[in-house]
Amino acid sequence: MDYLKRLIAVAIFLLALASALSLPYVYESQTLWYKFGFDKTTLRAGQLAGMLALTLLFTQIILAAGGSFLQKAFGLKNIMQWHRTNGVLIVFFACVHVFLILVPEGLANLPIGKKFWPEMVGSLLLWTLIAMVISSRYREKLNLDYKRWRAIHKPLGYLTVLLIVVHVLYVSDSFDHTVPKSILLVTFMALLVRVVWVKVQARIQQNKT
Amino acid sequence: MNYGRIVCFLLLSLLIIPAAHSADDNWELDKAHSNVYFSVDHIFSKVRGHFNDFSTDIVFNPEALDKSSFTFTIKVNYIDTNISKRDKHLLSADFFDAGKYPTMTFTSTSVTAGEGGVYNVTGKLTVKGKSYDSTLPLVLAGVKEHPAVPGTEVAGFNGKILIDRLSYGIGTGKFYEMGIVGKDVEVFVSLEVTRSK
Repeated sequence: MDYLKRLIAVAIFLLALASALSLPYVYESQTLWYKFGFDKTTLRAGQLAGMLALTLLFTQIILAAGGSFLQKAFGLKNIMQWHRTNGVLIVFFACVHVFLILVPEGLANLPIGKKFWPEMVGSLLLWTLIAMVISSRYREKLNLDYKRWRAIHKPLGYLTVLLIVVHVLYVSDSFDHTVPKSILLVTFMALLVRVVWVKVQARIQQNKT
Repeated sequence: MNYGRIVCFLLLSLLIIPAAHSADDNWELDKAHSNVYFSVDHIFSKVRGHFNDFSTDIVFNPEALDKSSFTFTIKVNYIDTNISKRDKHLLSADFFDAGKYPTMTFTSTSVTAGEGGVYNVTGKLTVKGKSYDSTLPLVLAGVKEHPAVPGTEVAGFNGKILIDRLSYGIGTGKFYEMGIVGKDVEVFVSLEVTRSK
């Protein structure tokens, strides 16, 4: 039974990952139309890194929320270990995404200013993620009290999901198409439902004991 | 002694009078009612854009064209085609390379009167660090007392020039050869300038 649960969880993750990684090919952005050779490869690689970061960030919230399904399938210790590793991977792919997206049009040509607000949301997201990973990995060295750290870490985690949805929806013209936009919004809603469901279940369980 | 003072006064006056004269012919840009905009072909359509930040240094007197001059400084970073991603692409090395060359300038070397109120402003257009001889025909739309600001004169200039962007190094020709972006760019200059009477 646990094996089946693991299989379902892994299958959902792989399906989400495959969908996300196929998007820059199926719904090619107009920016890619006007890039050639190395620039095109770099930009597409940057988009793939971004989609990977998006998938991992959504997965991160599922791991953080936990729930009996995941805990029974993989065990709490493993989930927490993946959550920590996943955090580092998200920051890594986010950094790769930013670098590869910026390189084709020059690192001196940064999208800063009001008209580049979706990119600025992405920048805020990146710095939030970096702060979260650093404060988590070096919490003791930074003398951060666990309760206070957790009280900040949790809402920031939910904020990052909101920021990434806004960033992706408005930064990429691939998401102007109905299918990718719908998939993203439905996944986001499903994620919210999952988190609320886990929290409600946990509260009911708590009240019983 | 008195003769010496008089001679000194006359010499100083000679220095001051032309300066005062040219100062009167200085015109200040009314940024809110001035534009530098352009139009370029994209496959079948036309893409229009403008530069949101530019400054001018204008000395103009139709009676003293030899003392008249026009200087334009355009901040390339403020290009606006209504699509931020396209603006960013235009700022890249594919076009303006704004990181290296943040401004374009036009400095006149002579102003001559043409027909029908046209003033041919000849000068050096500096794009991406290289200077090119260029002539901007400006039509003097008029000079009159500013309807909203008593004691101030307003003048209007309108000009249009067709430039081959490739000869100014704006792009390598890659997009032109592919039939995507045209090489001829229509540049429109519309200015309102003011001065105290």
